[in-house]
Amino acid sequence: MKEQSSLGSTLVKKLTGNLAATIVVGTTLVLAVVIGVEGGPSQVINSIVTGGMWALLAVGLALVFGVMNVPHFAHGESFMVGAYVAYFVFNPIHTSLKENPNTFLGVTAPFLAMLAAAVAGLILGVILERLLFYPLRLKTKSGWVMNAFLLTVGISFILTNGTTLTLGPNFRGIPRYWDVPPLQVGSVRVAVDRIIAFFIAIISIVALWFFLRQTRTGRAIRAVSQDELGAQMMGINLNFIYPLTFALATAMAALSGASLLFMFQAYPTVGLKPLYFAWYVVMLAGLGNVVGAIVGGFIVAVLQSATQLFTFTVTVLGHEFQIGGIAWEDVIPTFVMIIVLLVVPSGIFGSEVKGVQEQ
Amino acid sequence: MASIEMERKNDASPLGAITAAMKRIGISPLGLVLLVVVALLPLIPPFNQEHMVRWLIMGAFLAAQAIAFDFTAGYINVVNFGFAALLGLGAYTSAILANKSPVLMVQPGLSPWIGIWIGAIVAGLVGLGLGWLTLRLRGIFAAVMAWFVGIALMGLVRNLTPLTRGPLGMNPSSLLNTTANLPYYYIILIMMLAVYVSLRLVTESHYGLAFKAIGQNLDAARASGINPTRYRVFNFALSSLFAGWLGGFYAHYYGSLTPQTLMHTSKTVEVLALVYIGGRGSMWGGMFIAFPFVFFIEYLRSNLTELPGLHLVIYGLLMVLVMILYPDGLAGLYNWAVEKIKGLGNSG
Repeated sequence: MKEQSSLGSTLVKKLTGNLAATIVVGTTLVLAVVIGVEGGPSQVINSIVTGGMWALLAVGLALVFGVMNVPHFAHGESFMVGAYVAYFVFNPIHTSLKENPNTFLGVTAPFLAMLAAAVAGLILGVILERLLFYPLRLKTKSGWVMNAFLLTVGISFILTNGTTLTLGPNFRGIPRYWDVPPLQVGSVRVAVDRIIAFFIAIISIVALWFFLRQTRTGRAIRAVSQDELGAQMMGINLNFIYPLTFALATAMAALSGASLLFMFQAYPTVGLKPLYFAWYVVMLAGLGNVVGAIVGGFIVAVLQSATQLFTFTVTVLGHEFQIGGIAWEDVIPTFVMIIVLLVVPSGIFGSEVKGVQEQ
Repeated sequence: MASIEMERKNDASPLGAITAAMKRIGISPLGLVLLVVVALLPLIPPFNQEHMVRWLIMGAFLAAQAIAFDFTAGYINVVNFGFAALLGLGAYTSAILANKSPVLMVQPGLSPWIGIWIGAIVAGLVGLGLGWLTLRLRGIFAAVMAWFVGIALMGLVRNLTPLTRGPLGMNPSSLLNTTANLPYYYIILIMMLAVYVSLRLVTESHYGLAFKAIGQNLDAARASGINPTRYRVFNFALSSLFAGWLGGFYAHYYGSLTPQTLMHTSKTVEVLALVYIGGRGSMWGGMFIAFPFVFFIEYLRSNLTELPGLHLVIYGLLMVLVMILYPDGLAGLYNWAVEKIKGLGNSG
């Protein structure tokens, strides 16, 4: 496949001749091996699955920042909407299937739910862009990035609390999409849901890549991300490109929310953690860098597994402090980010947004 | 509270001298009247009920936060997204220093009156480090990194259980030996005024000019010989310092600290919404609107218990509407009205 090889070659180009990237990717690979030895291969497979999802989320974030210059803070809420839509589509079908089993519907119902979530994401994206970002763009004379950021904060606040208000704070989840035994990969058993979630992420990313590289509209999107004014002069209609980009990013987030419903469940604040990790990926890889975000997703997932796996206790004044473990997932990224900002502020793969330094 | 252009002709009279002095610290005659009203409010029924006084305290506390927040958001156009966490850092520092109970690891037993200041300094130092790290980059880096640091601080508070009791929360000692709310109200009112006046003094000095220049056009500011990073870091650290200071009050007034109720990002968003609705860059807008807002929100909360979170949705909707439809907020509306009235007076 031509488009896939070009994705691969771009990745190789990003990695070679970049000391920071080589060091980080090398360390991640070593860490992944150590995790495999210490925690068993299932841990590694888990990180790969999670990595695919973080990558899918981060790609949307990078795309929106690259094209629209919007630091998207409501990306997690798109994830949440996706999870809810998938739940409300899948659950009735699942209940009716219990009474009259139907193999075909049993296999396809989850995909139907995910498709519904993606479509809902597309619609939500277009509505948000037209209703909020478009008027803001007309009003804003300077400081667009900060204003857009605050607008997304407001959107996130409304969506989260609005969901609590209408649907309540309770969790809506499913144990699994497909009622089949886990697959045997070597000595490891992996749930089918995880494998499919991973492939959905990879297929979506490759499809997006193909779209951006090979189609006329995709090229127009990339043109806008490189030079807005120049693109406009070439006859590209920003009022088409902006809603499209935003809708694509929202749909991708909704899709990941739907395909991870068995892991995260649906509740009003479910988007916070995915948002946090997607931002972590984007800052680590470089703001607006779509290809970097793919690799970054896996790096972050491995770091996350390492944080969960390795714990040690420190004794101070006779009191034991536990360092590491799942509760430290919020703390470790900050230290990694501090190092990144000190050494390579534009991210390990370099930012593709004009000027990381304030200008 | 409003700082509007005063007529120069009054300057000769003693009254004029006083208004001029008040103007230097950013208090207009109308603002002074409002301040007096706010100060006397808890003595007048129906506001003298204990729960009303508690609302007033909440209002003054939010108002003070809004001023400190607007100092960065409105002047250098950087959003301190870890504001609530820095406030919590000050609160926890002061609470740990004041601890006497053997439940926790250390029992310094320091007076809260001293601890509040140490909490402020710790928060200020973290703000300084954070600013130094991120403010040479684009503003969004500072915002996102402050968010990360905020989440990390919250995580640390939750995880370092021997020091903070984690999610169980702490019960710090009280600032005063009384159960009455009124003395606390005057303390927080004085703190609010102190934040306002000191930040006003900074913005009225050449620092303020530099902040404005940086916020409006960074290149032009740099060309005029301003080192943007230095001013931005100073601004950020000062705002964080006040956040920590106010956190100390929270700890020793409410007497209960949990990471979730104090340091969560949504607490920052609440202050941010206030600042935007009040008018970014005015400093008094958020302060002014905090009082009626708390009453409105608390009224909603106590009367519509079957709709939890409605007040937060209204917060968000108002903020988004103000941003899109009227970015200048209440302060902009006020300035516009004053201009109109002046225009009428001149023509007539």
